[in-house]
Amino acid sequence: MSGTQALDIKNKEFMLVGGLLLIVAALMAFFPYMSSGDSEVDWISLPLVGFPIIVSCILLAFASQESRSRKEVIAVPIRLFTLAASLIPLAISTSLFFDWLIAVDWNLGYNEYALEKEYIWIETIGVSWHVGMDGLSFPMVWLTTFLIPVTIVTTWNEKDGATYHPLLLMMGGALIGVFVALDLFLFYVFWELTLIPMFFLILKWGGKDRRYASQKFFIYTFAASVIMLLGLITLYFLQPEGSGPRYGTVTNRTFDMRVLFTNALAANEGDGVFLGKDMQNILFAMLMLGFLVKLPAVPFHTWLPDAHVQAPTGGSMLLAGVMLKMGAYGMLRLPVALFPDALIFYQDIIMAIGLISLVWGAIVCLGQTNLKRMVAYSSVSHMGIILLGIASMQPIGYAAALFMMFAHGIISPMLFAVCGAFKHHYHSMEIGAMRGMAKWSPYLAVYMMFAWMASLGLPLLAGFVAELMLMIAYWHTYGWWILLPGFVLAITAAYYLWSMQRTIFEGGDEGQPPESLNGETPPDITTSENIGMIILAFFTILFGIFPFIALDMMGQWTHELFLTVFEGGGI
Amino acid sequence: MSESGIIDYAVLIPLLPMLAFPVILFLGRIFNGTPTWVKNLKEGGIIALTVMGASLLLALAVIKEHMNSIGATNVFTWFETHWWEVDGALTDRVFGVGIYIDHLTVMLLFVAAFLCFLINIFSIGYMNTDPINDNRNHRFYAEFVLFCSGMLGMVLADSFLWLFIFWELMGLCSYLLIGFYYERPSAAYAAKKAFLTTRVGDVFLVIGLAMLWNMFGSLDYAVVFDPVEIAKVSSSELQIALGMMFIGAVGKSAQFPLHVWLPDAMEGPTPVSALIHAATMVNAGLYLVARMFPFFQAADIGSLSTLAIIIACIGGITAVMAALIAFVQMDLKKVLAYSTMSQLAYIFTGLGCALWFANNGYEELATFALGASLFHLFNHAMAKGMLFMASGSVIHEMHHAHHEVAHHEHDDDHHDDHHDDHHDDFDAQSMANMGGLANKMPITATAMFVGSMSIIGIPFIGGFWSKEGIIASAWKVALKEPVFLFPAMLVLIGAGMTGFYMSRMWFMTFAGKPKTDVAKHVHEQTPWIPIPLVVLTFMTLSAFILAGMHAGAWLGDYQSGHYSNFFSGVGEELQYVFLNDDPFLMVLTYVTIGLSFILGPSFAMALYGGSLDDDDEAKPWMQWAIDLSARVNKNSNFDNSAWANSSLAYSLEKRLHFDDWYDAAMLKIVVGFAYISAKFDKNVIDGVIKTIESTSQAASAKLRTLTTGSARDYIMMTALGTLAIFLLLWGVA
Repeated sequence: MSGTQALDIKNKEFMLVGGLLLIVAALMAFFPYMSSGDSEVDWISLPLVGFPIIVSCILLAFASQESRSRKEVIAVPIRLFTLAASLIPLAISTSLFFDWLIAVDWNLGYNEYALEKEYIWIETIGVSWHVGMDGLSFPMVWLTTFLIPVTIVTTWNEKDGATYHPLLLMMGGALIGVFVALDLFLFYVFWELTLIPMFFLILKWGGKDRRYASQKFFIYTFAASVIMLLGLITLYFLQPEGSGPRYGTVTNRTFDMRVLFTNALAANEGDGVFLGKDMQNILFAMLMLGFLVKLPAVPFHTWLPDAHVQAPTGGSMLLAGVMLKMGAYGMLRLPVALFPDALIFYQDIIMAIGLISLVWGAIVCLGQTNLKRMVAYSSVSHMGIILLGIASMQPIGYAAALFMMFAHGIISPMLFAVCGAFKHHYHSMEIGAMRGMAKWSPYLAVYMMFAWMASLGLPLLAGFVAELMLMIAYWHTYGWWILLPGFVLAITAAYYLWSMQRTIFEGGDEGQPPESLNGETPPDITTSENIGMIILAFFTILFGIFPFIALDMMGQWTHELFLTVFEGGGI
Repeated sequence: MSESGIIDYAVLIPLLPMLAFPVILFLGRIFNGTPTWVKNLKEGGIIALTVMGASLLLALAVIKEHMNSIGATNVFTWFETHWWEVDGALTDRVFGVGIYIDHLTVMLLFVAAFLCFLINIFSIGYMNTDPINDNRNHRFYAEFVLFCSGMLGMVLADSFLWLFIFWELMGLCSYLLIGFYYERPSAAYAAKKAFLTTRVGDVFLVIGLAMLWNMFGSLDYAVVFDPVEIAKVSSSELQIALGMMFIGAVGKSAQFPLHVWLPDAMEGPTPVSALIHAATMVNAGLYLVARMFPFFQAADIGSLSTLAIIIACIGGITAVMAALIAFVQMDLKKVLAYSTMSQLAYIFTGLGCALWFANNGYEELATFALGASLFHLFNHAMAKGMLFMASGSVIHEMHHAHHEVAHHEHDDDHHDDHHDDHHDDFDAQSMANMGGLANKMPITATAMFVGSMSIIGIPFIGGFWSKEGIIASAWKVALKEPVFLFPAMLVLIGAGMTGFYMSRMWFMTFAGKPKTDVAKHVHEQTPWIPIPLVVLTFMTLSAFILAGMHAGAWLGDYQSGHYSNFFSGVGEELQYVFLNDDPFLMVLTYVTIGLSFILGPSFAMALYGGSLDDDDEAKPWMQWAIDLSARVNKNSNFDNSAWANSSLAYSLEKRLHFDDWYDAAMLKIVVGFAYISAKFDKNVIDGVIKTIESTSQAASAKLRTLTTGSARDYIMMTALGTLAIFLLLWGVA
């Protein structure tokens, strides 16, 4: 690289970073205060949702103008900038979590939201940009803001970082949008928006069969969400007409969720049934289908292993960490809360699907030879726990489901980070291709053991509390069926320990390096991977020892849900 | 129920070691190999020792304060959730955390803290002088203190929930420490086996806890042991819940049929075997069962006798089975492992008796049986910890001697790679390579001697007092409940078997002529190792003091205050054992002594006894036994080759084939099914999706052919379409 070019690049970096910082500062300074009348600051719309998406769009637009060789050079400042940008939502959500700096009251009743904001968007059909957070969505929002910087750090050296890291940031903004949306239309927009960055992440940075996997991922989940969309539109038209700023001038109906919940609550009260029993059952099934595919539940799960195995490490971390929880979140937000009578009608079916996911996922795990595929199936298995929690119809079971969403959101990125580092350094994912990893990669071995142990529910790590609460709720509702989840606890230990025995352990005094390295000494993990995994491990321990940090909020939400929707709805 | 005092600091007892875990790990990572770290800090051993010493002192202070009183700290809320009652109300349910201390805690706290400390001393001698451990001892000490934290925490916890949490923590450390030599496939296999087998038990324990929680709405001792609360629950449900929890105890304490992991666990370093797999963790299952006592004792509870009988029977079966397998083991540590299993089984039988008595209203007998069981737990932990450390000492010195001998032989090949020791065929743990060590390792031999006597139940030493109590209790129940004849018979036979295999072990190792060249060159030379051996030898010998203090009565019911007069206590105890008013019990005592003291050791002497080399002389307290064994051996001319070659001996060597069956079940059935499932998932479930995909692609390929590009075709189609629309409209009209 010649001198002039280097100078040129420095100027460019400077302009890039400086210019973007200016834009961001302007956005941050002005937009939060442009709220509708009242003086409260809008901490959600721009800082949490808009900012990551806008910044990533700018960066992508900028990077796409550059030639291939220049892209590599500007990757460094772009990476740094993406990381810095991702820390802003994290700072905001963390201060919201503990009620520092930004005043927020998490003591919310049902259908009450913190930091709620509403702007009219499409007047004719009653769409508004309506956002807010409660005990159900906020932990997921925090989780997303937390995972984005961690993912960026962990996959710091991913090739073509000029576009890779901004895509991760965009993914984060879209995911947060799903969780904060309080408008069905907005919810669906963000729901589908999350597909786009993930599609490109798999397509561009994926493995050998990335084309097939990305298309399967896109079409499979899209097809399911179309059914969900039909359900949402039906719901929209079946609601009573009304007038007011939220209602469409042409349709006289609204997509607003808050109104929807109020209507449903009033109609469900006592012996009443919102929209009638049959319609409830139909709509419940339509919405659930979309969410079950996303979760994913057996038998709609086969897109997940393909997507995971092909996806790059960062994609997998976000996919398993947050994207799967969109399904669980959607269930609890819409069908469960809107149609309690249908929930009772389908209770045993949900339990059966959850149980099948749990058992089948675990058994298939044991039969895998590919490390990442095994971890992917373990996600299917763990997501079954959420369905069991919903079917248990006890607040403790719902709290278990919520905490499982959260805990799995920290543990599973670590699982995939370990798999990614494994693949990155050994160029192989086959279990048993190398033995004695503890010899040459002590750090990776420790992280692997830690993540595996966390995933199999070791006490004082995040997953345990959820499993314990689930077992309690499950015994109450389904009695001796508890032997099957119990069996899964043992099988989970079996596949994790068996895979560790054949990777970390064994190998004799010299170890047995993978053949794919052609006799080179296997390296240990890089500093960035190390940092990312230490952070994930730290939070796994933190929420394992102090689960109440997140659980209090979730418990409050389940309490209100049960009191208002189920008890009030005459269930 | 809270008072201030030293108990407020009791939380530090488990917390200090837990905090030492990351400290040792990180310091070790940073300073590994530096002289200060290796020489002064013993690669973390000194840090661990300091912490364990502090924990021990605190534990002693707590014990002193709560010798005769129940203590509990405030319960802090760990997390909170809600319950939807049948009447529609939502009630708060709190999962708490706190400390609870009663007589049971006091006893186990002492055992755990004391042995953790002593075995830490032993480890510094054992681990730091073995070159194979270079650069990885910090990992050992880190995992060691984490384990100690788990054990101490489990004992101090105030709820079944936290008992379980620390229980799992111990399981993790057990896994890590068994797999300490991770590069050995056998260690990796053993670690996995131990974790998975205990996990099977743990699953049932979790289910039991879920059931218990559903009955009481809490797992805190303060709630579940409240007689008012117990009166509300159905005894049959409670029995099932406790039975589920008992399966967890079976796994942790290596009882039939989940016993297979313990012998393999000997792959870990010897201090680990001494601490985890003999003295502390395996007692966790006993502790759990002993904790269930208040349920059985509650006045208003229905019959829970079935569970008591099951517990006693599992104990009886394991006692005899493990003793049988121990007959044929040649590996020093494996003999001790099966012995551990067998002795723990005794305690289970004793607990089964105590629970039966308590449930059927025999307060005093229940107290006696519970006290005897816990006293045996104490004696066994001390003796077995000592035996394992002594065996470690033997193995360690055998290694050293082997290295010396090998070094002499190959003086000119420069053997500076220490790891060569572990590559050749010499087995430093096999008793076939030992013999005649009594004079070469006097301290170790004495410790083994006393420990073995305690385990066998030689009158007046250690385990004698408690084992008598267990056997007597079993027969006392049997007189009231005939089903108990089965475990009672088994533990009685087991006493004789114990006499045989423990004597066999001692005579094979320490008596007779050295069987190999290596055994001739053994010396007792490693520092640190003798300290805990000497301490524990005196501890075991002085068990009569505890017996005199009516340990049985004290441990069972601290309020009775029997221990006020020591001498009358010893007198009463002696009278109770040897000159009981009840002729049945008196005869039973002498039968037991006859089996365990006369019959068992005699057979062992006849088979394995022998004098030392001519110019060697053991210490006088052992020499008589060696002389006696030589005489018995010479006079009996006992030939056991028919037995040794029988199919029974073969299947005993194969550990009665349990391991083979379990392996086959796991590999052939479960894993086989898993592979089939994975195929099914790929070909059928995903196959359906792929079929939809390919069908739609094929259909679109067909449809695409309609786009011919020829104007004639398009006009034709337009015409047909228009016609169709007309027909449709006409039809509707």
